[in-house]
Parts: sequence; structure tokens; C-alpha cells
Amino acid sequence: MSVKYVPVQWNRNKWMYDGFLLVGVGLFLGFFLHIRPDFLSGNDPRINAQILNARAFGVCAFLMLSIILSIGPLARLDPRFSALLYNRRHFGVMTAAVALTHFGFILNWYFAFSKSNKYEALLFANTNYGQIAGFPFEMFGLFALICLLILSTTSHDFWLKFLTAPVWKRLHYLIYPAYAAVVAHVALGMLQDASGNVFPALFVVAALIVAGLHVAAFVHDRRHGDPVAEPVAEGWFRICKASDIREGRARIGLLPNGERVAVFRQDDKLSAISNACAHQNGPLGEGRIVDCLVTCPWHGFNYDVRSGRSPAPFTEKIPTYNLKVHDAEVYVDPNANEPGTYVEPVEVPPLEGEA
Amino acid sequence: MNDREDTPFFIGYLQVPQKLRKLLLVTALALVGFLLGAGLLIGRTQDTDPGGGAFRFDYGQQTVSGVVENLAYPLFHVTEGNDRLKPGQTLMLTGSGKDGVSNRTLPMVGKLATAKGIVLERGSLEMLQLAGGKRGLSEAEKQSSVSVPKPEDLGRWKLTGEICDGKCLSGAMRPGRGLAHKACANLCLFGDIPPVFVSTKPVKGSEFLMVLGPDGGALPKEAYDFIGQYITLEGAVARHGDMLVFKMDPETIELAS
Repeated sequence: MSVKYVPVQWNRNKWMYDGFLLVGVGLFLGFFLHIRPDFLSGNDPRINAQILNARAFGVCAFLMLSIILSIGPLARLDPRFSALLYNRRHFGVMTAAVALTHFGFILNWYFAFSKSNKYEALLFANTNYGQIAGFPFEMFGLFALICLLILSTTSHDFWLKFLTAPVWKRLHYLIYPAYAAVVAHVALGMLQDASGNVFPALFVVAALIVAGLHVAAFVHDRRHGDPVAEPVAEGWFRICKASDIREGRARIGLLPNGERVAVFRQDDKLSAISNACAHQNGPLGEGRIVDCLVTCPWHGFNYDVRSGRSPAPFTEKIPTYNLKVHDAEVYVDPNANEPGTYVEPVEVPPLEGEA
Repeated sequence: MNDREDTPFFIGYLQVPQKLRKLLLVTALALVGFLLGAGLLIGRTQDTDPGGGAFRFDYGQQTVSGVVENLAYPLFHVTEGNDRLKPGQTLMLTGSGKDGVSNRTLPMVGKLATAKGIVLERGSLEMLQLAGGKRGLSEAEKQSSVSVPKPEDLGRWKLTGEICDGKCLSGAMRPGRGLAHKACANLCLFGDIPPVFVSTKPVKGSEFLMVLGPDGGALPKEAYDFIGQYITLEGAVARHGDMLVFKMDPETIELAS
């Protein structure tokens, strides 16, 4: 959280995250480029260095993108991996940089040395759109690169605030068509000329893992997802039993308008707030109350559970909900209050064993 | 109570919970190990042999005399050579980059000329990248009675293989053929670089044939859709000097299996 925009709010965990990433990418490129039989034997590489570099950076970008896309569903399946979501934007920016380097090597090699402008040449050199073999696979790569550059450019919190979290999130779903385009780019390009089986096999396995994890997370969420709030009389919706909510934790209910409400217990009092964090719409109900503040599991944004306001000097606000407890059941009015509206918490009996 | 509620809670700007440290460390090391292993494995098993073509800078700049033949793409028949380029050899010509030299050779067709440049060589396929201006190609001061070798008609052939641009194939780019290289090859061909058909089976001893249209003109536009692909096509083959020239019939192009 910040009250002003700085390029990066560094902390120890971010340094560690980026450090491991840089070491991993450096080792990949180093081993890809320099641990080859021809290199080790001291012979001149028969293949152009530009092509070797383009391959190395291209394959690296594909693997990085596959890993990035695996983190989300992995965190859904096992919450311990939610920690990997933190700083994932740096992973994305680094991937965009690696992909841009791949693009640079290709553009300045295959599309250079002619009288035509190389950027124009990229668009007209191959217009064989009518058949699969020989399809201008470069266009898929270009589309993916543009997506990655848009995502990395808008990854900063300034753009998040400027665009608003819902728009920003929708924009960042571009990562999925980008990945599909990368798969098509590789399948119709590099794989067409690949003579060995190792990369094609790894490529297929990586793409299947990404797809499989998303399917598994979808099924998991269908089975264990947030319960739909049950309508009862006078417009109130039942969320759960008061005793279902542990101290400092929340239960989430899906309201008829599609919004999610998170009902928290703090000091044996219940409060209901929007489940969507004002930052990136992270699931606040999966967070905790830490030091008297609801803490988002994604980036640690804090809110007073009674008012939905971030503590000063921060200015984030989220909607609150009116709630009532009747016969030990928790009911919520689905009409959200204006963000930042104080609602008096409702006292409930202490939990057995936690009193 | 779901399992999420029992999971140690990670907050990015605070210390990592003790119970998560081991898992995150193992995950980070696994990520680094995976990238290291993938780099090693893919790097070692990638195809690094693009064939024998290369710029022969080690030969130094070559100067030869010969006669220019006027096809859609020029050929240079060496009449007075050196240790590398012997009399009787036929060279394809190119300019620097992706530019052909037809505009430079046209005024010298049928005349004795001096060519200077760097050789590109791939097996029996040889190309000379001319130096710039008159230094690279000039009319010989003394014109002797030389003439372009008479073409030898070798009949109609059905061939299987790939149309490439002659320069990248000869070694300007390694690899310089295949579908990943298709756009680059197209650019070369747009720039008037001679196209070459690489036949899977040698034709009269050569697997490389310069490609022309059916009327002897430039590569037909229909052929551009098949650059870099494994195809069969028919046409008339003739020998010009020691270079085979293939006048392809674009209507016969088919993707080969």
C-alpha cells in the first residue's frame, strides 16, 4: 500500500522473488546458449548467433509465460502457493522483456538487410494466410508481444487506479489470448522445422500443464466455491451460521447480483464488507484480520472491517453491508452501502473453545 | 472451515510465516532448477547444423573475369579465375543484404566483365556477393570473343524439394531454409535474389537448381505461397554452364507428403 506512486515498493520478499527469477532466467539462457556440443568442443557454431539468441529468448519467454499462468490455478488448488501471486507482476514484466529481446533478434536478422522498412516487412513478407503450413506465424508472436507489452506497461498501480480494478482486471485477461497466440506461434513456426523431439515434447507438456491446471482449478472452485446466499424474508440473504466464522476469518457469500460479501468475525462481533479488494479485486474473504485490520491475501491491503476504509494515510474504500443475526444465523442485506460507510458490528456468542 | 483457513497467511511486506518458508524455498529452487535443466536439455538437443553453407570470408575477396548471362536472375560464367573459382564455373550473383544485382548486370549481358566479391558456398552451389559499384562489377577493358555457354536442354522433370532464396541457402543465414525462415526468404526474393530449388534427389548430379518462371521470367507469384515448404513441381531443366536452371510450371505445384 502506498499514498504516492513510486516505481517499485521494494521489500525483502520482492528482492528474493526477483532474485530467484533473474538467476533462473540467467541460468536458462546461459545453459541454452553455451552448453552445446559445438560450443564445448571449441568449434564455431554453425548456426547464426542471432538465431541461437532468438531461440533461447523465445523458448525462455514461452516457459516463463507457462509458469506465470500456472501460478493462479495452483494457488486456487493449494492456498499455500498464494504467496507466489505476490510480485507476479514483476514476473510478467520480466517475461515481456525476454519476449521483446526475442523479437529484436528476429526483426534485426530475418527482417533486416532489405530496402524495406523492417517493421513494414514484418507485415508483408509473408501473407500466406490461406494455409496452415507456411502460415505467417510471426503475426501470432506479434500479437502476443503487443499483449505482453500492454500488460507490463499497465501493470503499475498508477494504471490500476486510473483504469479502476474491474477494467484493469479485464484488460489483464489479455494474458490468455496472448498465451494461445504464443502456442500457435511456436506450433506453426519453430516446431515446423524442429528436428529433435525434446523441445516439441516439452512444449506440449507445458501447454497441457497450463490447460490442465486451469481445468482442475475450475472444477475445484465448482466443488468448493463460495456458497450462494439463500434468500429469506424481507430481502435479507442467509450467509451461514455465526458459529461457522472463526475469529479473525470470514465466510464468503455469493449475492444474487453477482457480488460477493465477506462476513468477518472480530472480537466476537460480525461485520460484512465487499469481498473485492479495492486494489486488484483480490478476495478479501480469503484474507485474515491482522492487527485489527482485514488484510488482503494478494498484496496485503488493509481495511477497517467496520467501515471498509484503509487506515490513514491510505485512502482505499470498499462497500460495507448491513447484517443481522437471528437464531445464530447470519443474514446480509444485499444492497451494499457506499464505500467507506461505517456499520456497527453485530455481537455474537463466543465460539466454543476460543472464548 | 475450509483448508484455506488453516493455511499460514502470507503478507508480502512482512516476514514469510515459518510454516511457508520451506515450501517457498523448495518451490523457488525447483523453478530455478527447472529453468536450468530446460536450458541445458533444449540447448543441447536443438538442431545446430544448418548444412554446410557459409560466407567464405576466409577465402578473402575474389576477383574473376567472365561473361554475364541474361536470365531473370543473372549468371556469371567464369572465363578467367583463380585457385578458388575456376574457369568454367557458373556463379549466381547477389548484392549486399537482400538485394539482387540485375540492374547492374543488365548493361553487361554477353560482355566480358570483371567481378569482385565474397563467395558464398554450399556444396556445389556458389554465389558471389559483389562489392559495391564498379569495384564489384565492371566491363573488362579488353573485350575478347567470349560468349555465353549454350544451354543444354535436359528435358522435363518432376521434382520434390523446397524453393529457397539462393543467398540464405548458400550460407548468408544459417539456417537459411525451412518454414521458420519463410518470411526472410520471401524478402530476399522480393529483392531480386535468385531463387533456388533444393531437390531431394540430385538432377544430373546436382541437388540445386536456379528457378525461373515457365517463360524464363522471374519466380511466378504463385510460388511465393510455397516458399520453404516441401513440394513437388514440374518444369523444364536446362544446364547453363555448370548451373542447372529449372523453368517451373506453377500449375503443377503440390504439397509433398
